[in-house]
Amino acid sequence: MGWAAFFGIWAFVSAVILDEFTLPGPLKVWNEILEIVRGGSWADDFLISISKTFMGFMIALIVGVPVGYMMGRAGYWKAFFHDGVVGAGSIPGIVYAIIALVIFGIGFQGPILAVGLISMPFIALNVAEGLEGVDRDLLSMSTAFGRSDRQALRHILIPSIMPFAFAGVRLSFAIAWKVEALTEVFGSSNGVGFQIRFAFQGFSIAGVLAWTLMFIALLLLIERGLAIVERWLFRWRTWEQAA
Amino acid sequence: MATLQIEKLTKTFPPHSKDGRPVRAIQDISFAMSGQVFVSLVGPSGCGKSTLLNIVSGVDSPSTGTVTVTQDGKKARLGYVFQDSRLLPWRTVMQNMLYVSDLPEEEGRANASKYLEMVGLGHAHDMYPGQLSGGMQQRVGIARAFSVSPDLLLMDEPFSHLDAITARSLREELQVMWNATKKTVLFVTHDVMEAVQLSNRIITLAHGGTVFDDTTIELPFPRKASDPEFAAQQAEILGRFETMELERTAAKG
Ligand SMILES: Nc1ncnc2c1ncn2[C@@H]1O[C@H](COP(=O)(O)OP(=O)(O)OP(=O)(O)O)[C@@H](O)[C@H]1O
Ligand SMILES: [Mg+2]
Repeated sequence: MGWAAFFGIWAFVSAVILDEFTLPGPLKVWNEILEIVRGGSWADDFLISISKTFMGFMIALIVGVPVGYMMGRAGYWKAFFHDGVVGAGSIPGIVYAIIALVIFGIGFQGPILAVGLISMPFIALNVAEGLEGVDRDLLSMSTAFGRSDRQALRHILIPSIMPFAFAGVRLSFAIAWKVEALTEVFGSSNGVGFQIRFAFQGFSIAGVLAWTLMFIALLLLIERGLAIVERWLFRWRTWEQAA
Repeated sequence: MATLQIEKLTKTFPPHSKDGRPVRAIQDISFAMSGQVFVSLVGPSGCGKSTLLNIVSGVDSPSTGTVTVTQDGKKARLGYVFQDSRLLPWRTVMQNMLYVSDLPEEEGRANASKYLEMVGLGHAHDMYPGQLSGGMQQRVGIARAFSVSPDLLLMDEPFSHLDAITARSLREELQVMWNATKKTVLFVTHDVMEAVQLSNRIITLAHGGTVFDDTTIELPFPRKASDPEFAAQQAEILGRFETMELERTAAKG
């Protein structure tokens, strides 16, 4: 229903208020999408963009999880990192895109760095929050029954953090994906962002919109996928809320 | 045979607020218990009962004094039933039981099943704690504590969150399980009737964490609250509570 209204308004604005050159109608863009799909190399562009996002994300996890862990466990580290992490989280994506461009110029490292930088604060903050919320009573239960620190880490700490970490991943993924494409628009010779710029330089608004729509579709698809994984991982929570 | 020995135990917590005084949860407690006894620890709220159990279980450490728990000279194995069930919400009932088990997988499962059966939860292996009622969760907590074959079983007001009917039936189950296993049990409660019903010995703590009274109860099991001797015992202990309160007010005034 929401979609029908969206396409209706789009068609109306395109045909009546603006013109076909400024804003091509849905049909034209749809044909453009078909064209791109038929061309065949679109999958490569998406694959490249996704793998760059993924690698940036890995970097963010590798840095963000330990930082979040330290922040959640010790007041000292919380104070040490707090302003930096919150500050970093408030910087707009475009700044990271520019920083990445300045450092790496046109190349594949730029988008990866930008994704890493933008995602890290979200992940760190969520992990910290999860750790602070760990139920101390469960930890003392674990000690009373003679369980080791490693067992407590695996069965209590990590499961407590997981929902928060996952929320951090989902939230930052949407942002990371946008920053990745943004960085590609400026400084890349492949990927979805690059294709958008390429279409723009060829004065093909339909091309820009076609790529953008495909980009949105993929983002939604991945979101849905993550939501399904999340529901499965945290199936115990449905019961908790019901009780 | 399990032996718990507490000597000149004190526990002081850091002040709750910046310029507050340190909290003396336990001032001076000494007692010993050993063998097949069910000992109840009763006393007013805040007199340090939970603190004492936490020190015995190693969750907390004494400020001064010593606590030793031994089983025939070796380090004893402990079971702990908490006031709330303290189950891992992200693990099923069976997984919660296995978390505290040191047995090989198969044996652990069989053992856990046995104790779940005993508390009437043979059907609930694959349920999550959130799917169980409070009483059922508490049963899992009890099964968990028994399942490790503890030399010393600690119980901290295990029935106080439950309604009277559920508490009563769990109390009876506990009695049956204790008769079957004859563990050494240290049981904390507010409820004098509960203490008289279950225990061989009742230790009363006073405000500020000192031992006020130590009584042996000789009535045969199973004990019925309607039995006049039961009522007499209960009245006597309650009488001591009153004396304790009177002394306290007198000391204050
Ligand atoms: N971790 C802690 N930090 C600071 N003070 C504490 C801590 N644990 C307990 N206390 C204090 O120690 C005193 C004894 O507490 P404890 O929980 O042992 O009482 P209790 O006898 O179990 O009471 P109740 O019957 O209400 O459960 C209280 O004054 C409490 O505020
Ligand atoms: Mg208590």
